[in-house]
Amino acid sequence: MSGRFASLEDVVQDRTFPAVDVALRRGHHIDRDAADWYAFLSDAQDHLEPFYRRYGCELVKQSEGYFYLLPTGDQLPRRHLTGGEMLVGQTLALQYLDPATLQSGGIVTREQLLTRLASLIGARALAKIFEPRRRRFDNERIVHEIVRARIAEGIRRLASLGFIELVDDERIRLRSPLLRFAEPVRGLSDPAAAMERLVARGEIVFTATTGEATSVRSLDADASAAEDVEDDLNGLPHEEEP
Amino acid sequence: MSAPLRDPHRLLAGLHKAGVSLELSSLDVCFLAALHLRADQDGLASFDEELVFDIFDQICDLVEPGAENSRKRATHAIQRLREQRMLARVDASGVVSAGEYALTSLAIAIVKSFLDDEQLTRESLALLTGAVISSLGQIRASASRTEGETAWRTNVVSPLRVTVGDLIGGIERRQRGLDGQQEDVQRQIGELLQDDWFGAVDQCQALLDATTGTLQELNEVLMRDSSLIQSLLQEIQQSALAKEAKEAEEAVQRVVEQVDRMTAWGNSRQKAWSGYYLYVHRFLRDVVRLDPDRALSQRLLDQIRAWPSRPFAQIAAADDRIRLLRPVSARGERPPVGRRRVNRDSEVTTVSATDDEVDLEALVRQELRDGARDLATVTRRVLAHITPADRYRTIGRVAAVVAKLARPRSLHERPWITVDDAVEIEDWTIEIGRGEHET
Repeated sequence: MSGRFASLEDVVQDRTFPAVDVALRRGHHIDRDAADWYAFLSDAQDHLEPFYRRYGCELVKQSEGYFYLLPTGDQLPRRHLTGGEMLVGQTLALQYLDPATLQSGGIVTREQLLTRLASLIGARALAKIFEPRRRRFDNERIVHEIVRARIAEGIRRLASLGFIELVDDERIRLRSPLLRFAEPVRGLSDPAAAMERLVARGEIVFTATTGEATSVRSLDADASAAEDVEDDLNGLPHEEEP
Repeated sequence: MSAPLRDPHRLLAGLHKAGVSLELSSLDVCFLAALHLRADQDGLASFDEELVFDIFDQICDLVEPGAENSRKRATHAIQRLREQRMLARVDASGVVSAGEYALTSLAIAIVKSFLDDEQLTRESLALLTGAVISSLGQIRASASRTEGETAWRTNVVSPLRVTVGDLIGGIERRQRGLDGQQEDVQRQIGELLQDDWFGAVDQCQALLDATTGTLQELNEVLMRDSSLIQSLLQEIQQSALAKEAKEAEEAVQRVVEQVDRMTAWGNSRQKAWSGYYLYVHRFLRDVVRLDPDRALSQRLLDQIRAWPSRPFAQIAAADDRIRLLRPVSARGERPPVGRRRVNRDSEVTTVSATDDEVDLEALVRQELRDGARDLATVTRRVLAHITPADRYRTIGRVAAVVAKLARPRSLHERPWITVDDAVEIEDWTIEIGRGEHET
């Protein structure tokens, strides 16, 4: 047990607790860059883990130095990241691992991200993933507009979850929680098996692209599949009710 | 005489109008550098034409081996550099004899920026700040006993501008050199990891520590010496202020700003470097050491490529709704919106157009007869006979009657006179002809 907090009451009475608690419940990832919050969580971890478990959540600390709350039960609402957010997050994680990014101190531009993503998936394929209901992708200008808009949306959401920090309109600071996107391939085991383990732990969920909609395939027996499809059709982030 | 402050807009417009531009190829820069190095080596102030051609030949062999017509190309290169004020012909013989050339200050500055490795070290900074402090000490002593404009200029302004200004300029130049060195280190760290991943960790660590150490030492010197420099400058400024030496005051102020800039550089670089240092440390620890074979990037790349065919999504907590603690209530029947039907048409009645019982004209006539000679007096007296509710509209009528019975005269600027508790009017003077109010 940490010497700073003798009991859960001490933790809750700390002036940092309300802000950190709200941030965690909103899905925010807290890393070493948020020095005060990170120090608070590190010191209070032993008390907070059982505390959040009572809400059906796991307070997870990764070895790269970041915390997040993972809902495993039904008491706390949760969402799964949209396709755009997943693609942007994985590509930014790839850039985080690239030593070339070191020269800029972990800062990349939106243009670099766009170029990288387009080179990995292709602009048209990206537009199809982002806009599954659209049939025609002949107009290059429209394809680029779709891709740009959805990437911008993904960046904004990832920033609100603490994966990245927006330095200004153009530049993005990469943060260590991005490595969560690389979690399925962290070990040397078969990625499919690793992914199944993550699904079992409630870290990720498989989604099926069915032309016009994406729906939850596993993990939540109680989640309403109809609601998932509806949300995805509307292009909204999926949210699961407790 | 002090140099007047130049207007930057005018200067820039002048440069633009003159079409100033520089265009140097790699060959040109190498040629200039070779001339500079040769002058340095042999102590030459200028070069005869044959030597210039020789040096160009050597550069051609090095940069573009096998190129033909080197003599012709040398002539063109010399011409090009002369047009851009990089080379100057110093023999004054025109075209009648072989030329004698020298590098201009512009060419020397360009070559030096490529060749000289002017970086800030603890020793060079301590030496330079020491020289600044010593010069300022002498200037302070001169300032305390100097009298007269010319003496101030000679003993204070010029040393401040030339000696101290140049010394601090030297520090700033070296600061820029160190900025360049830091950029090199950052690039080098990236390249080392790119080439040798796990094997480069120790080298990266050493590079980081070396630069961090240098910055810390420099900042210590800057913090220590800049406060001493500032206090010396303050004393000189006070002497200038006491003896009303305006030019010296301005010169001191300029140096103060230079010193501020120099100190701010130290703080900002240390802050920026500390962010970079932390980031690289975490990268080495969390990424490189945990993935010594650098397999993760490739596996992640494969994961991204396969994602569209087998999509998955991360789960995150999402308790981001505002809880409204509203009491539950069964909603009752809402009554329809409506109002009672009534006949809203009102009966029309006949009223007289005027119901004045006061003979306004008679009252005005009486006041004029009693000697009132301005509109305000007449109005005030007439209003005394009128009920308060009718006074406002009566005022205009009084004016009309006065205009009818007499000749109003008004000044260009008519004064506002109070005639009632709530009303002021613009006044007229009234002129009455003989027997006029009798009618």
